[in-house]
Amino acid sequence: MRPFTFTSAENTMQALGAVKGNSKYLAGGTNLIDLMKEDVERPEQLIYISKLEYNKITGNADGGLTLGAMLSNAETANHPEVRKNYPLLSMAMLSAATAQIRNMASNGGNLLQRTRCPYFFEVSMPCNKREPGSGCGAKNGMNAVHAIFGYSEQCIAVNPSDMCVALAALEATVEVQQPGGGSRMIPFTDFHRLPGDQPEKDTNLQPGELISAIHLPKSIFSDHYYYLKIRERSSYAFALLSVAAGLQVNNGVINKAGLAMGSVAHKPWKLTKAEAFLAGKKPTQANFEAAAKLEMIDAKPFKENKYKVEMGTRAIVRALTQAFEREA
Amino acid sequence: MKTLNESATGKAIDRVEGHLKVTGMAKYASEFPIKDKVYGQGLNSTIAKGEIVSIDTSEAEKLPGVLKIITYKNAEKLKTFDNKMTEVSTTTIAPVLQTNMVHFYGEYVGLVVAETFEQAQYAARLVKFKYKKDANPAIHLEKLRAKAYKPNDKSDYSRGDLKAGLAAADERLEVTYNTPIEHHHPMEMHAVIASWDNGKVIAYASQQIVNDATIAISDTFQIPKKDVRVVAAYVGGGFGSKLNVERHVIMAVMAAKMVGKPVQVTVTRQQMFTNTSLRQHNEQKMKVGAKKDGTLTALSHETLSHTSPTLEFQEACGLGTQMLYKVPNNFVTHRLVPLNIQTPFAMRAPGEATGSFALESAMDEMAWKLRMDPIDFRVKNDTQTDPSNNKPFSSRLLVECLRIGAEKFGWKDRKTEPRSNKKGNWLIGHGVSAAARSAPYLKTNSKVILVLEGDRVNATVQMDATDIGTGSYTIIAQTASEYLGIPVEQVKVELGDSNFPVTPGSGGSWGAASFCNGAMAACVNAIKTLKQNRNIKEEEEVELADLMKKNQLTKFEAEGSAGPSKEFDEHSVYSFGANFSEVWVDKDTGMFRIKRMVNVGAAGKILNPKTAYGQIIGGLTMGVGMAQAEQTRIEPNFGNFITRSFADYHVPVNLDMANINVVFLPEDDKIANKMGVKGIGELGITSVAASIANAIFNATGKRMRDLPITPEKLIEAKIEPGINI
Ligand SMILES: Cc1cc2nc3c(=O)[nH]c(=O)nc-3n(C[C@H](O)[C@H](O)[C@H](O)COP(=O)(O)OP(=O)(O)OC[C@H]3O[C@@H](n4cnc5c(N)ncnc54)[C@H](O)[C@@H]3O)c2cc1C
Ligand code: SF4
Repeated sequence: MRPFTFTSAENTMQALGAVKGNSKYLAGGTNLIDLMKEDVERPEQLIYISKLEYNKITGNADGGLTLGAMLSNAETANHPEVRKNYPLLSMAMLSAATAQIRNMASNGGNLLQRTRCPYFFEVSMPCNKREPGSGCGAKNGMNAVHAIFGYSEQCIAVNPSDMCVALAALEATVEVQQPGGGSRMIPFTDFHRLPGDQPEKDTNLQPGELISAIHLPKSIFSDHYYYLKIRERSSYAFALLSVAAGLQVNNGVINKAGLAMGSVAHKPWKLTKAEAFLAGKKPTQANFEAAAKLEMIDAKPFKENKYKVEMGTRAIVRALTQAFEREA
Repeated sequence: MKTLNESATGKAIDRVEGHLKVTGMAKYASEFPIKDKVYGQGLNSTIAKGEIVSIDTSEAEKLPGVLKIITYKNAEKLKTFDNKMTEVSTTTIAPVLQTNMVHFYGEYVGLVVAETFEQAQYAARLVKFKYKKDANPAIHLEKLRAKAYKPNDKSDYSRGDLKAGLAAADERLEVTYNTPIEHHHPMEMHAVIASWDNGKVIAYASQQIVNDATIAISDTFQIPKKDVRVVAAYVGGGFGSKLNVERHVIMAVMAAKMVGKPVQVTVTRQQMFTNTSLRQHNEQKMKVGAKKDGTLTALSHETLSHTSPTLEFQEACGLGTQMLYKVPNNFVTHRLVPLNIQTPFAMRAPGEATGSFALESAMDEMAWKLRMDPIDFRVKNDTQTDPSNNKPFSSRLLVECLRIGAEKFGWKDRKTEPRSNKKGNWLIGHGVSAAARSAPYLKTNSKVILVLEGDRVNATVQMDATDIGTGSYTIIAQTASEYLGIPVEQVKVELGDSNFPVTPGSGGSWGAASFCNGAMAACVNAIKTLKQNRNIKEEEEVELADLMKKNQLTKFEAEGSAGPSKEFDEHSVYSFGANFSEVWVDKDTGMFRIKRMVNVGAAGKILNPKTAYGQIIGGLTMGVGMAQAEQTRIEPNFGNFITRSFADYHVPVNLDMANINVVFLPEDDKIANKMGVKGIGELGITSVAASIANAIFNATGKRMRDLPITPEKLIEAKIEPGINI
């Protein structure tokens, strides 16, 4: 690890004010510290933000819920309100990492965790995300865990988060505090970005912006939900592919479907075509299959990740089936 | 003389060193409080093949705390390999930093020594190497078949006539299995603290065989063996990776001389992939011929594998195929291709773990072709004589293992037809496999020191054996307790110091048998001498304390040594076992769960059922890892390993593990050794993966011949009709 200075912020003003040069906010550190040890991240200053006031879960006037960014993944996933009204989020979050990591990991940090692309982690390898212009090692190399949607010539990496897949399905909003004072709201689907020509940028956050909260709209998927995570062992592994599915069913007809897929693109992949197709339809196997096909027909896999197309198709159908069959 | 007591061998007592371990008092290599020690951080090459053209250490040297940067330019000259390929062994020298040539990605190209660990790590980032890269490093085994060579006389074996055997068969099978590169990854990473004192080296090092480590170090530095002392009091696992001396040890010894201070080098988890050995990729081609009634007529096993450009290691995958079944026509070969990857070396059950996957999968495939029960098929071809050398087995309870296992597992309820056992989204299958692991026994010396305090005798047993987490301390204490007739609380065991009497160390499943017979010899000698001195008849029962008093002694020392007998050499000595697995495969996701496992072992006298059980479940867990996810992947363009931490090298987690039933069959094999002990450390992993793959076939109707069996592969195998897009 390289030397850095350490600033512990007592409040938002201090945190935002401390930003200069190559600074990084430090929350749970479960991703940032690992990357510093690997020499991938080389901040000159760490600004410790875990003591900031965004550490509560509060109800909103519109019936929604606000999750503080400094709250741990464990506290969030196990919170009674989240369990009751947003079980899809709870299920996704509890499928991630281990109990120990979830105790350390913050909600804000989870949104900003970086890709698990092996070339990104190894500083002697080419990687446009880590070192713009150095090339993408994965494209003609090992790409079993890479994207099948929305990638660019520059980068084919995926976002590895489970929590974010559920947040995309739930259509959350991210609140950020700006360095000059003031705050702004970012719809979840606009929070992460596709790699395009700037794969070094994972999100649309501006320099120095601090995530303070995640807002969830009024719950509509608490009866029919499922988070399906496919991985190489039963626990403690990142997803090869995942699907978050929420269904609002009235009188045997789908009123609204919330669907997103994980580990297939540079951002949580919202399945908008499938969502639109399912609205107003009956929750049948045939409709689930038709919805899955609508999405997966656009998949463009690489040499080693062809399996993701069939896996993804089955996963959508399976997640929808389990969501529908699940008794509230 | 034999006073049975509560702590004697065969009793399931707790580990005698357990408290030390759970309270952090047991000192592992890097934990020795050596005064003034400084820290070394190894530097790794970032090319797979080529040469170093320049090194810039200027920036790193300016940093505070940096004491020395060692590269090939200023390294001490060491003994190096002559030009011909040397076969790697547990005493092989480990030259390092001797040339500018790079042979594999991650090879050590330097060592930074600094006052603190952090300084060393930081400085390591600032040393810059420029390379001339060879355009075509050898990293693809598949593309380099033509370079395969036969390493030595042990590589090939045959009996009968394979062709004729296949021609005589009613059913024939020819299939190829692949097992990937795996890494040992013991919990405790390799580590050493080395220092020099008056021309003598002392190294606190995480090693499995301390005596061989002293040989390797002294040989590498060309100094007398007596001037090297190696201490490995506690070793946090090895699985074979610590059998030999790796280069960090040599770098630490060299650095300690150059800076005049003790130097600690701890291998990082990432370096555990590149700077320790590995289990190599094996491509195994099997041919099987059998009569309709299940009689095997032909069996062959051809293994293609790799070694490094400088050293040779051949994993004997085909050994089991030579000896397990009575088949007249047998053909076994091993071939190697030198690749720009570090030298492979023994990993838990080298040859057996991997070879049994091929053999026991092929046996299952043939049984299915014959529509014969896979247990009956194996029983049909059982033998009490080792067909590879015509020696009788000292004991062989393979059939019993299979039959008793079948009963415990409920094998009769298994549905024979694949894909016929379904529950919701699950496809359920049951699989079986047979296991054999040789039970080596090697010469071992030990010393016992008896001290009379009041009416009680306290004993200390010393030998240079190691406890790599297996339970050596405990079973040696139990042995002494039994043969001295004193409770285990009065026995102290001291291990892991090359100043103690020489043993073969831990490895190859020879530890338990060798150490305990060695300890027994010292204890028996002690009693015998004490009796002889007072003209007491050998059969007469006398308490040890009385014996000491009669001798008017308060302290007495005796040595002993034990080793294989002529009878041992005239027999084939093996442990046998059977594995049963019930696997549930999710038809949509390709993920599978192993619900139940039954493991039956016939491995001689079980010295301590608790530690033995630990060995078996450890082996089963590693077998599950092999079947399910463990795999080190090589980058095809650069030749580095892309799996470089536990986040992507997937070992099993608790949730992956089944409900396990371990059964030991009683066995009294005095040919194996006086105490009748056989090894079990490697029996536990042998053929586990085959039982799981066979269960997956039974569940899905798909043969998975390439390990690990991941969701990706099961989806690609189309375990369930796909949804057409
Ligand atoms: C072994 C392992 C396995 C894992 N498995 C999974 C898994 O299966 N699924 C999964 O989803 N995740 C997994 N994770 C990732 C884990 O969820 C993330 O590391 C964690 O959520 C990051 O949170 P943190 O608070 O520790 O972030 P940190 O490491 O502290 O920070 C991460 C990044 O976010 C920035 N940051 C943090 N908080 C804020 C904020 N409020 N505003 C602005 N910037 C901020 C930091 O500057 C840094 O760049 C795993 C991690 C590990 C180490
Ligand atoms: S996929 Fe993206 S992260 Fe991976 S090597 Fe290419 S540029 Fe880097």
